[in-house]
Amino acid sequence: YQRRVRGSFSKINSMLKRIILAPRSLSFNSPQTHKPYKPFTRNGLYKQYQTSPDKKPITLYTAPTPNGWKVPITLEELEIPYNVHHIHIQKNEQKEPWFLKINPNGKIPAIVDHSNGDFSVFESAAILFYLTEKFPGGEKLLPKDLKERTRVLEWSFFQMSSLGPMQGQAGHFNRAAPEKIEYAIKRYRDETYRVYSVLDLALEGKEYLANDRYSVADILNFTWVLVHEFGGVSLDEFKNLKRWGERIAKRPAVVKGIGVPEKRANLFNEDGSLKFN
Amino acid sequence: YQRRVRGSISKTMTEKKPITLYTSPTPNGWKVSIALEELGIPYNVHGIKLQTNEQKQDWFLKINPNGRIPAIVDHSNGDFAVFESAAILVYLAENFPGGEKLLPKDLKQKTQVLEWSFFQMAGVGPMQGQANHFLHMAPEKIEYGIKRYTDETKRLYSVLDKALEGKEYLANNQYSIADILNFSWVLIHDFAQVSLDGFPNLKKWGERIAKRPAVVKGLVVPEKNPRINFFNDDGSVKF
Repeated sequence: YQRRVRGSFSKINSMLKRIILAPRSLSFNSPQTHKPYKPFTRNGLYKQYQTSPDKKPITLYTAPTPNGWKVPITLEELEIPYNVHHIHIQKNEQKEPWFLKINPNGKIPAIVDHSNGDFSVFESAAILFYLTEKFPGGEKLLPKDLKERTRVLEWSFFQMSSLGPMQGQAGHFNRAAPEKIEYAIKRYRDETYRVYSVLDLALEGKEYLANDRYSVADILNFTWVLVHEFGGVSLDEFKNLKRWGERIAKRPAVVKGIGVPEKRANLFNEDGSLKFN
Repeated sequence: YQRRVRGSISKTMTEKKPITLYTSPTPNGWKVSIALEELGIPYNVHGIKLQTNEQKQDWFLKINPNGRIPAIVDHSNGDFAVFESAAILVYLAENFPGGEKLLPKDLKQKTQVLEWSFFQMAGVGPMQGQANHFLHMAPEKIEYGIKRYTDETKRLYSVLDKALEGKEYLANNQYSIADILNFSWVLIHDFAQVSLDGFPNLKKWGERIAKRPAVVKGLVVPEKNPRINFFNDDGSVKF
């Protein structure tokens, strides 16, 4: 079992490592290479530096919704320790003045990075890009090559501008609107269906959306396709999309992330696995 | 006497410009022509007629599988195609010289630009777009839809206005793609029947950006919008 420690601890760690484990390289002026953090278990010193709750680099403000889930999934994928602050949307907690300082748009998710001067970030995709660029191992979710990264950006903006907003409106007119407006229900269901068909075609003969490699683009789109029923769209016609979703639903980081800040019972099977159908 | 011959001469001329832009006279289209002008990148313009659904034709779906404008093809990079207006702006800023003046390299600064970019792509664009639809394009007048989306557009404008309090630009108090992305939509607020009277910071910000030469040039690409006029008689932009 290994836990990743970020922030000032990795600085202390690497200093102590050089003093204790490699006395020959006792030079504080030697150039630091940015290697991914490896907990040094050789002589048990690691255990003394386990994180305590207030030492976790990230505090996540979230609710159990598609936009919320994107962030803990990513945090789990990158093994970044985080505190969870559950924002209750039913009570409009996200519009309170203290939270508007973190996200002036008054929406979840938002994060604060304590390892970077309490830097706050809003907009789910911006958070995902920030995490992948700031924390080690991020390139496995966001490639450094410009062409490959642009492909990830295309499908990320596609989710943020088309899938999220349109399926969100479909959900609103299906369930939340006080009156049943057929025109609007049809408009947004049709558009959600069209968006799904674009995704399905893009996944023809591929396992993942961009560069045929798992990335933030898949995380961003997955959390919305997971709750396709709210948009009134079935996945029966979209074989590629179904296959893609079933594969992602099995990832341990995804199962953990969808349970944050709390599990929605209808999304999980009895054995704790994620229901994707 | 020289005649312009289509075919070989114009082919070489088009090949020398790195970018071909597929676009229409809409906010999402203007974002890219403005950014190209700001960065001084030569580009060919291919106007796409939305009225005839040209953007859903097979040849264009190869460039943008979502069948929407804008899209670009970068001939200086193996004919690399990019769709989604904000993805195009980030790509141009990262791939062409001088791009850092529109998208900083520092992570914190870049993140703040991306915050307001995603805010526009996920909020302003879609919601103001729905307001436009229910006001002008829906076959029946649906009050609930009109109210829902104009209210949300106003709320988004209030967020922008507050963020511009005491500032000249949205992110890092420095002009960036975040301003270009949001400006193109706020410019046509009248079409969504949202007044800027309650948003003095937003008004000041827009007036400042409307004076930029690159913005004035970008807003007439591929042609002036026949339905929405924001030009003064002297060719300057009315904000």
